[in-house]
Amino acid sequence: MITGLLSAPWETFVVCLLLLVAPAVATGWRRSVRTLAALVIAAAVALFAPAGPLAYGAVAIGALLHAFGAWPSSRTGAVWLTASAVLAVATGAALDAGRLTEAFVLSTLAIALRAGVLPLNAGVSSLCERAPIVQIQQLASTIVLVFVHLRFVDHHPEAVALAPLVVRIGAVAALGGALLSIVQRDLRGFYRATTSMHGGLVLAAVGAASHDNFAAALLVVVSAGLALGGLGIMTSSLEERVGAVRFDDGGGRVGALPRLAVAYAFFGAAGVAMPGTSGFVADDLLLHALWMESPVSTVLVIVSSATLAVSTLVAYSRAFLGRPVPVLAPDLSARERVVTAALFGFLLVLGLAPGLLIGPADAFLTVVPEVAIAVPGAGAVR
Amino acid sequence: MVEAVRLALVLAVVAPVVAGVIVGLRVLLADRHPSEAMAYRTTMAGLTASMLALGVVLLGFSGLVAAPVDGEMEFGSWLRIHDFEIPLVLLVDRISLTIALFAAVLTLLVGRFSRTYLHREPGFVRFFGLLAFFATGTQLVALAGALELFFAGWEIVGISSALFIGYFHERAEPIRSSIRAFATYRLADAGLLVATVTTFELLGSARFSALDRAAQLPAGEATLIALLFLLSAMGKSAQLPFSGWLPRAMEGPTPSSALFYGAVSIHAGLFLLLRVWPVLEVSVPARVIGVVVGLATAAYAASVVRVHTDAKGALAHATLAQVGLILAEIFLGLITLALVHLVCHALLRLGQFLKAPNMVHDSHRLGHEAHGPSWLARVSPRLAARVYAGALHRLRLDDRIDAAFAPVLALARLLDRTDRRIRRAVSMDGVAP
Repeated sequence: MITGLLSAPWETFVVCLLLLVAPAVATGWRRSVRTLAALVIAAAVALFAPAGPLAYGAVAIGALLHAFGAWPSSRTGAVWLTASAVLAVATGAALDAGRLTEAFVLSTLAIALRAGVLPLNAGVSSLCERAPIVQIQQLASTIVLVFVHLRFVDHHPEAVALAPLVVRIGAVAALGGALLSIVQRDLRGFYRATTSMHGGLVLAAVGAASHDNFAAALLVVVSAGLALGGLGIMTSSLEERVGAVRFDDGGGRVGALPRLAVAYAFFGAAGVAMPGTSGFVADDLLLHALWMESPVSTVLVIVSSATLAVSTLVAYSRAFLGRPVPVLAPDLSARERVVTAALFGFLLVLGLAPGLLIGPADAFLTVVPEVAIAVPGAGAVR
Repeated sequence: MVEAVRLALVLAVVAPVVAGVIVGLRVLLADRHPSEAMAYRTTMAGLTASMLALGVVLLGFSGLVAAPVDGEMEFGSWLRIHDFEIPLVLLVDRISLTIALFAAVLTLLVGRFSRTYLHREPGFVRFFGLLAFFATGTQLVALAGALELFFAGWEIVGISSALFIGYFHERAEPIRSSIRAFATYRLADAGLLVATVTTFELLGSARFSALDRAAQLPAGEATLIALLFLLSAMGKSAQLPFSGWLPRAMEGPTPSSALFYGAVSIHAGLFLLLRVWPVLEVSVPARVIGVVVGLATAAYAASVVRVHTDAKGALAHATLAQVGLILAEIFLGLITLALVHLVCHALLRLGQFLKAPNMVHDSHRLGHEAHGPSWLARVSPRLAARVYAGALHRLRLDDRIDAAFAPVLALARLLDRTDRRIRRAVSMDGVAP
């Protein structure tokens, strides 16, 4: 038991904890502490669970808690989260029954719903627009879901057989998200499109993971979570100060809100794999992993990333640069600065020393749990 | 001596970025905006440390005090998972040391020049912070021993370049120019990234030393990699048809224009080609295309420079003409000539760019020299008129590129409309039209 706990994915848990707590701290603990604690416990149980059904059960509880939080402001988002909870329960049941192909498909579908993969992005898009705090927190739960997927359903022959399809769908969805980001007319829309693009990347990474590329998939989802979390908090912080930010309103806020502008630029750059951040290493790992499945998908992902980088600069310049405008609201508060610094720190540390996270996590994911069930003709269920 | 060189290599790369981080943290965390003196001294300390460190590396490489130190210097792995590794390896050889030293010296000179030139500019501190990041990017580009590390430096140079172009961000034009330059850079980055992954998968490693095995690759694969490297260099060094962003890049402050588009950044693509020469060498189609692109760019830029009415724009095209020639020299296999041409040209242009603001004053003082008709006008007045007209609107390169990307934008809009329709159909909250 003690050995198991020592080798458990503490690093992944810490990242998830940060993403769960960060928006609550930045906005001043407006949500119930009890809900937050329940979310943390659900994440911990899912990450440390010794069996697939239990882990997926915890994932489902986490999704329902998010749905409960989202319901007052985003019913679509709440329904989407509930649907992902149902899929998680079904995955657990399929695992329990030894139906591995069904488990893989259901779990992948749950990831697609949670990550906002096009065209299944209605729920996440609604969360981005109407319940940004829930969306940021559910990024943490998405990391947990991907981790559980990698651990319990992503190694058997059926997963390997379906991987090329998942990779291709993910790559095309990423390109779609990147294209959407070019034509958005406001900052919230840009955030929504960016989330969809990263959703595609996550799906492609999950597909490519079946060939022992767990590290790539985990680092991609963690980097996306941290970057999108930071970007989401900064977007909300800016909108709290100046209202909805349209791209045709002239921008010019960098003089009045310099720290917010720098933080937004940093998270935007981290989201498009700036060197020094974890996204850079994640992208590199992902590209090599994708190449094994489909070189064309590799090129699509590279083009998506390049496109998103350009639209990120466009969004930043439209929101912050231009003729200076007076803004009466103050720059980042102390709470927001603490959260920003923590997210900065994680992105940089994981960028400069990615082995800290993916070394132990990869070792953990490649070990078959003791409770693995032997299924005739279907490999091992982890 | 080997240990001293290893330490010096790390210092050469890291010292500028540490200075930049200190300036950045001061801006973000201190209640008062940092003073010009603080930003200047901190950045210059980082740049000086980098240059001195490179002096130590040069000493080690020359073999004056001990056995010569050269080749790959290993610093462990950035990441190692199973059989995949991103190595932290720096390379000490004739080409890397030449480029690293000349970039460090020029950056330091431009830093000193900018202290006076940008005194009391609102973005003084930002300029020096960016200069520090740029210096680390150039050192990584120059000293990297593997494509991944090179790519990291390449991206840092691209990002800082775009931010320098948009330095005067209160005006719309610098921002537009910055975005256009950045978009071209990202296209080049995409080419380099595909080339990096392809190299790794086909040769088993993305170290530059692995490229020596390129001769063993089938001709088609070698040509593919060579063309991807050429594409990257074309974007970064503004070769045809990607030359449109260069005159727009002159929106940045003069010192950054001098450093980026006169000296260091514009030559980065050429440096990449020098580095990956073993792949280029074995691909005849890529070499032919490279020579054609280089000569065409030189001819284009030489004709545009004759009709340009502003000093920096004319200098940018004069630079481009020479860069085109150097590109052709590389693809012709004249590596040493290309390296000498590159360094001498960069030094000359840096001086000319820094002098550009005085050009109007000088022309008033010295007067204008009347020009007779060009040789082309004497041979064929009609052709000369056509060249003149083409040069005047720069072959409408930007318009043509915009037209080429118009279908992509149309597709993006269609996708956006479809996405909104789907979301509206399933939404219980309503979706903005």
